[in-house]
Amino acid sequence: MQLSCLQENLSRGLSVVQRAVATRTTLPITQNVLLSTDNSRLKLAATNLEIAISTWIGAQVEEEGSITIPARLLTEFVNSLPAERIDIAMNPQPLGLDLECARFEAHINGRDADDFPPIPTVESGVIGKISSSVLKDAITHVAFAAATEESRPVLTGIKVDLKGDSFTFAAADGFRLAVYEGKLAEAVSEDVSFIMPARAFQEVNRLIGSDDTTIEFTVTPSKSQALFRLENVELVSQLIQGAFPNYSQLIPEGHDTRAVVDRTAFLSATRTASIFARDGSGIVRVKVLPAENGSSGTIEISSRAEELGDNEGKIDASVEGDESKIAFNSKYLSEVLDVLGSGEIALETTTSSSPGVIRPLSKEGYIHVVMPMFVQW
Amino acid sequence: MPIRLLRPDVSSKIAAGEVIERPASAVKELIENSLDAGATRISVEVRGGGSELIRISDNGVGIPANEVELAFQRFATSKVSSVEDLDGIKTLGFRGEALPSISAVSRVTLVTRYERESEGTRFEVHDGETVGNEPAGAPTGTTITVRQLFRNLPARQKFLKTVGTEISRIQIAVTRYALAYPEVRFELNPDKGRKFASPGTGDLRAVVAAVYGLQNAEGMLDMTPSDEDDLSPMVWGLVSPPSMDRANRSYICFFVNRRWVQNRFLSFALEQAYHGFMAERRFPMGVVNINLPYEDVDVNAHPAKAEVRFRRENQIFGAVQQAVRHALVTYSPVPEVNRLTSGHSPSHARTQATSGAFWPTTPFARPSPSERDRLAEIAGWTSDHDAAQTHPIADVTPESEPMIPKNALPVLRVLGQVQTTYIVAEGPDGMYLIDQHAAHERVMFERVQAQAVASTPEIQSLLEPAVVQLNPEHQELLEAQGEIIGSLGFAIEPFGGDTFLIRGVPALLGEGDPARALMDILDLMADGGGFESWEERAAYSIACHSAIRAGKVLSHQEMMELTRQLEDCVQPNTCPHGRPTMIHLSSSRLEREFGRT
Repeated sequence: MQLSCLQENLSRGLSVVQRAVATRTTLPITQNVLLSTDNSRLKLAATNLEIAISTWIGAQVEEEGSITIPARLLTEFVNSLPAERIDIAMNPQPLGLDLECARFEAHINGRDADDFPPIPTVESGVIGKISSSVLKDAITHVAFAAATEESRPVLTGIKVDLKGDSFTFAAADGFRLAVYEGKLAEAVSEDVSFIMPARAFQEVNRLIGSDDTTIEFTVTPSKSQALFRLENVELVSQLIQGAFPNYSQLIPEGHDTRAVVDRTAFLSATRTASIFARDGSGIVRVKVLPAENGSSGTIEISSRAEELGDNEGKIDASVEGDESKIAFNSKYLSEVLDVLGSGEIALETTTSSSPGVIRPLSKEGYIHVVMPMFVQW
Repeated sequence: MPIRLLRPDVSSKIAAGEVIERPASAVKELIENSLDAGATRISVEVRGGGSELIRISDNGVGIPANEVELAFQRFATSKVSSVEDLDGIKTLGFRGEALPSISAVSRVTLVTRYERESEGTRFEVHDGETVGNEPAGAPTGTTITVRQLFRNLPARQKFLKTVGTEISRIQIAVTRYALAYPEVRFELNPDKGRKFASPGTGDLRAVVAAVYGLQNAEGMLDMTPSDEDDLSPMVWGLVSPPSMDRANRSYICFFVNRRWVQNRFLSFALEQAYHGFMAERRFPMGVVNINLPYEDVDVNAHPAKAEVRFRRENQIFGAVQQAVRHALVTYSPVPEVNRLTSGHSPSHARTQATSGAFWPTTPFARPSPSERDRLAEIAGWTSDHDAAQTHPIADVTPESEPMIPKNALPVLRVLGQVQTTYIVAEGPDGMYLIDQHAAHERVMFERVQAQAVASTPEIQSLLEPAVVQLNPEHQELLEAQGEIIGSLGFAIEPFGGDTFLIRGVPALLGEGDPARALMDILDLMADGGGFESWEERAAYSIACHSAIRAGKVLSHQEMMELTRQLEDCVQPNTCPHGRPTMIHLSSSRLEREFGRT
């Protein structure tokens, strides 16, 4: 293998695949990055056996070949080089790469490319297209609600339902549920449902740039893997097998009280309350008071810490229905408010022991359900 | 008082005390007699926790009419005749002490018919005195009714626990025999609590389903005996895959030549086999049968025969470890297929590396659907609604705690973590080492207690109720201590049979599988951690379950937060057990050690 490329391209390419490099592993070669020539480009690939990311950068290829190199060492070295041309050549004995850039040169030992776990290829299956900005918005609104604990693997994933040209993403961690409905750029060839690891989606999210492009994805017929094809980047993820809870029945059908508030004001009041809630289990108490004698409706957000003190904040709200009380874990409340853009949101409640529902008024397809905490009022 | 020989009635009661400690031991002795008589159906009826009535009926061979009276004599047995016989005891009983011991401390009625005789016998003994011996019609087999156990032994009676506890001990005893003898149908009908029936089909997995629930039975791995040579001990049974771990050892049963035994050495061998598969302080489940030549094991080491001695301990150790390891490696190459963390478990990654496969695809060996249905059908715990009562707990009101002077901690500056177990901190007078688990346990313990006392549990409700199958012991515990468990923040409701729904969990538990958390906490409660009152046991269990473990890497922020919370505790210097949470190395000590003074 012999080629030349620009330092900034190689550096950028390495940063793209770096997130798929295994960190703690018993299979040391997964801490390497696979470099291989692909027509007149250099292909970089890394995998942690859960996801695999491949990217291509422009290069002048003199001689075909492939090798694996410790990812961290290569990345750090390349990042420290000046923005000039890098000449790369494979050295058979000892197996490794010789790099030359300006007046720097290095030899990095590597391992045979054949030892690298094969990067799966997803050739056939259900194919669909989605706008990158829509996908980013959907992932942002849903992924945080997925479980991080591994005790129920399906809950660490996002349930994806594709039907015609519409899609639904759902995530739940046992205490809350986020559901996002949207439109695909192009209808799928066949309706399909699968569970994608939330972490893999977060990586897809990270790879999406600021330009709005169309992302093509493929789900294997066995629903074991999914491929997301971005510009010059491919991400393949293992899918989670198992039955995702039937979440539609967890969304309350009606409500007794509905309060519409400014999301930013609600978020900052929640954050203020969470300071006092930190010592306990993060409980914030939310009291919704309808308008009375000409004064507008309000939401009171309070918290208290044993022996330390308590606090209460009030924000204006337009309230329909009865007075209501409900307590939430401040983490769950602030996390959902955090991802919602500015504008108004509706908080719908029934009793203090039934789920609370949050909907942004500007986004019809999104619904967030938070289970309350049972507390003494 | 001059020395004199004890009167027979006194000495027989002393001897009885050794064998018959509590109602469960009477049940145990009588079941052993039934099994030795070749019974295939044994039913046990219990009233008043066994002190009112125990009735055991079997369909064994029965006792010949002319031998019935002899059976009640001390050291009378049909099972051993010479000293040489003691070297190779094949029967469960042999000491000839059970019947006389029981009859010395109760009123026993025995109705039996020997299989080769046409007429049966009815024999009655009150407190060691024969009061009746007459012919009677009876089916083949023996029915023994023990009434008013320990009535004449107030010293023993005093130490009996509540009815619920005694019943649960009897349940444990019966289930152990059911596990050891899958081919025998056992029935237990207590007047309170849950009934139990084993199918008696000879299928060990079916018995495990009846005892530990269907879910657990399905997941267990088969240990098949190796038939390489007949001389080595044969080990067989069922063990759990590493993913089905438990918080204590109570799910491990060993049977040596089908006799339940308690042996540290065997437990150690089993745990060793899981080494590397299972986190520290977690234990597997297992029903392990060891078949040995009878002369290689001495069962005559303990009156209740719970302890045994082995002639070749090391050989047995090796055999158990090997058999378990073999089962684990054969059936359980991947801890959990759906678990996607790479490099999380050594076995996981190793399998992938050697097979060269990129994605793990090995499905977990599970019983087929039809077998599942069959298991479900025979999983025999049925709840008895009429009899289901909660047992009142003595002294529910927590005693007002003596005011302990606030053991103020100095303000600490966190420096770092040692061995991912201890936090190093600096105080005004030298250095402090804090045990992170013990410290967090203390913090959680006080928080749980404060909430329980103020009866303001913080309950996080669940999006979807978690379904949990509980074994009989857990059900008993839940029934008896439900109020306490509820006051700590669990919202649980029965869902028919052995199934329960968890609707809410203590907020302190955080994320994690609620069903697993509940089972862990029930296990820890059963263990007790050395606490007497149930309130403390429960608080301790939740604290222990939710406290961070040794080995967890903590960020500086987390360590600061933990020390700050510890400073707020009433008794910051010790964990709930009284072990120290921290060690102090004073400045003067440091100076002395470095020879600066």
